[in-house]
Amino acid sequence: MPQSLLLLFAALGVLGCAREPDLVVYCSLDQDFAEPLIREFERETGLRVDAQFDVERNKTVGLVQRILAERDHPRADVFWNNELAHTIRLKQAGATAAHDSATGRTLPEAFRDPEGHWYAFAARARVVLYRTDRDDPHPKRLDAMLEPAMAARGGLAKPLTGTTLTNFAVLAELRGREAALDWLRRALDSDLTWGSGNADVMRKVAEGRLSWCFTDTDDAARAIDAGHPVAVEWLDQGPPGEGVLLIPNSICVLAGAPHPDAAARFVDWVLRPEVEARLAQSPSRQIPVRPEVPPPPGYGRPGRDFPVLSTFDWERVAASLEDRESDFRALFVR
Amino acid sequence: MRSSSADPRPWQGAAWLGFALTAWLPLLPLLGGLFGAAVLLPFRDARLFGLFTRTLWISGGAALLAGALGLGTAVLATRTDAPLRRVAWVLLPLPLLLPPLVLAQAWYGLTGWTGPVTAMAALGLAHAPLPALLAARSLTRQLASAHEAALLCGPTLALRQMLRGALPATALGALFVFCLTAGDFAVPDYFSVQQPLFHVWGMEVFGHSRSGDSIGGVRAAAPLLALQLAVLLLALRLQRRLGELEVGRGRRPAPLPLRGASRHAAALALTVVLAVLVVAPLGRMLWETGAAGPLAPESWWTRSQDSFGQVFERARGDLLASLGHAGTAALLALLLAPWLAHGLLLLTARRRPALRLAGSALALASALPLLVPSVALGFAAIVLFDRPALRPFYDGPLFGSLLLGGRYLPIAVFLLLERMRTLPRSPEDAAVLCGFPYPRRVVRSRLAAQLGAVLLAAGLVGVFALRELDLKVLVSSLNHSAAVRYFNALHFARDGFVAAFGLVYAALLFLPVLLHQALTDRDRDR
Repeated sequence: MPQSLLLLFAALGVLGCAREPDLVVYCSLDQDFAEPLIREFERETGLRVDAQFDVERNKTVGLVQRILAERDHPRADVFWNNELAHTIRLKQAGATAAHDSATGRTLPEAFRDPEGHWYAFAARARVVLYRTDRDDPHPKRLDAMLEPAMAARGGLAKPLTGTTLTNFAVLAELRGREAALDWLRRALDSDLTWGSGNADVMRKVAEGRLSWCFTDTDDAARAIDAGHPVAVEWLDQGPPGEGVLLIPNSICVLAGAPHPDAAARFVDWVLRPEVEARLAQSPSRQIPVRPEVPPPPGYGRPGRDFPVLSTFDWERVAASLEDRESDFRALFVR
Repeated sequence: MRSSSADPRPWQGAAWLGFALTAWLPLLPLLGGLFGAAVLLPFRDARLFGLFTRTLWISGGAALLAGALGLGTAVLATRTDAPLRRVAWVLLPLPLLLPPLVLAQAWYGLTGWTGPVTAMAALGLAHAPLPALLAARSLTRQLASAHEAALLCGPTLALRQMLRGALPATALGALFVFCLTAGDFAVPDYFSVQQPLFHVWGMEVFGHSRSGDSIGGVRAAAPLLALQLAVLLLALRLQRRLGELEVGRGRRPAPLPLRGASRHAAALALTVVLAVLVVAPLGRMLWETGAAGPLAPESWWTRSQDSFGQVFERARGDLLASLGHAGTAALLALLLAPWLAHGLLLLTARRRPALRLAGSALALASALPLLVPSVALGFAAIVLFDRPALRPFYDGPLFGSLLLGGRYLPIAVFLLLERMRTLPRSPEDAAVLCGFPYPRRVVRSRLAAQLGAVLLAAGLVGVFALRELDLKVLVSSLNHSAAVRYFNALHFARDGFVAAFGLVYAALLFLPVLLHQALTDRDRDR
């Protein structure tokens, strides 16, 4: 019997092998929006894509760490990230490859790596979502959140993951580490409500438990589309008048990609203005970074309809991300 | 002379080899991080000590709550003639089929409560069916004659006898609850919204896994793991001490007749349990499938239909893939767990202290795959198996399922060990004397009387394999799964879809549970 069991396992091992795909894409964008685009790419090119998706809501470690863990024997060709700092972190760790994308070159200069390691497009903005059916004040600048009258009725996500971590890493880059930590200490001493993610605080506003929250435009769009009496305030994060923080999607070819040609083709395909336009019109209302692509309904064009924060260096933010995460953990995880 | 087929060693060898390949081998890269000075991390500073002690009381409290609620419900549902007992018995497993975070969100939506006590209660309620199911199985296997003899001496003694028999199973269930909740930081994090913020040790493990190397997360998990192993050792001792009650396949014990006030109280208790564990959270989820603000143009009904439509349109393939992974993991448990449990039973029942000690050490080592954080297990799998030569197997459907099966196999092993321990040894001794082949004597004397428990063990492995998330993000062949789609939607605030998906998911999983209940009832009535 033990011999037959071993034979059975051997047979299962052979049967359990997979056919190799033509392209492997790691994607942290909302699966609902990325999947139709990837299927369309498959139809147009005839290539078979294995798309692997990320989950951050239950606090998983995610695809970035997976790419780093797989670095010795890469299996992914492309990383399509729903933010930028971690993609640059991958470049700094030597996990990305240069690719000169013809469609990528049509992006504004600030949204592409001079060496072609990454391209950024279709952004989310960090905004305040507030209830329109209440007279409660809501902040229009980042520092106003700490005023007692505001803090008592508002909330934000803990800066431990996602775009809130990136946001406060940017703040540390703009104002210095100590100033950012001081801001967070004062926030902790205030009556602000803390959520485990941006969607959490958005829900609290939608349900009327809070009057305002600091969140992303895609979460805000969900609340608006669900018929809640809420609206978006473009939050000034720098010195007065400086602007709103945009966190774009980013895409890169990974170093040692097993299918480099297919990877280059996919990156070029995703970076077309049509894809940015589709993401702008989708329920997540990603904000195009190309001036010629129409903005999402009701959100306006960055730079024209609202100022954009640009006085910081994404490379430095990415380089400091791990240290800031550790700083913020020491402050919040107790 | 002993026939070769009566020798348990080839069977035991094959089973332990299977366990070593699926459960222990993936842990190899982590061993360096698990054993070392990291165990003393909680004593390094006040912040870490605070996290550790809070983990202890939140998980300990959740385990106690789940155990108390589970035992009480099991007694009422299986050993009394209380109204609603059959409904409770059938619906009880439902919360176990849903991720605790989703139940926590439903609870928050209903009550608006936050804070560490709420986190503890939410974790306890989400896991209460586990000790309840184990206790219920134990209660239905008790000897009718012993129960009736105790009943003649008075209801108090009968109740004490009943509880004494069910305690090892309840303790085991509560231990599993402790181990599962000690690593869960998403639920406490969700309820930690206002000063003073509170977190648990798992958050530290998560933080170290995100930044730096993957072994950093394992090192951070070492204190938690040491604690869980200590609790497991205690539970094994408790089981040995309390598990000597003779049970068997004899006549089913008659239900305790409840009259007057006690009958009303029992009905009320079961109503409250059902409302708290099942009706309230699932009702809230159903409402969320079509929930919207006052400005929404569509009705609740239209939105709800749309949410369910999206589930069947987009998630069908993922659901089928997940059921495939879970089914394979459950099959692995079905194939290996009975022999592994019997092997542990033989070793731990030895008279020689050295062999008993070896048995306990092996039992603890068998629990390791379950206790190691799944993030670490995922990274270890990448380090070991993500090699060009192994790529077709690594990317194939079997690899991930075996990894899931190996991780959750200890649940089946310990459950069956507990069930086997409560059976009398005499039938197996007689089978040995008659020279029965080893498999036949294990099946006849140990498993035939416990068909329901064997299915429950395999079913639990399947359920936990379905609920697993971290491994599914890290291991490529598991990524196309219901759990990834579900939590991806949760992250991006597609609440109607998430609620509908959760309900469909629970309903699908509930079908085998119903089958198990029917088999158990048949088993009981025979």
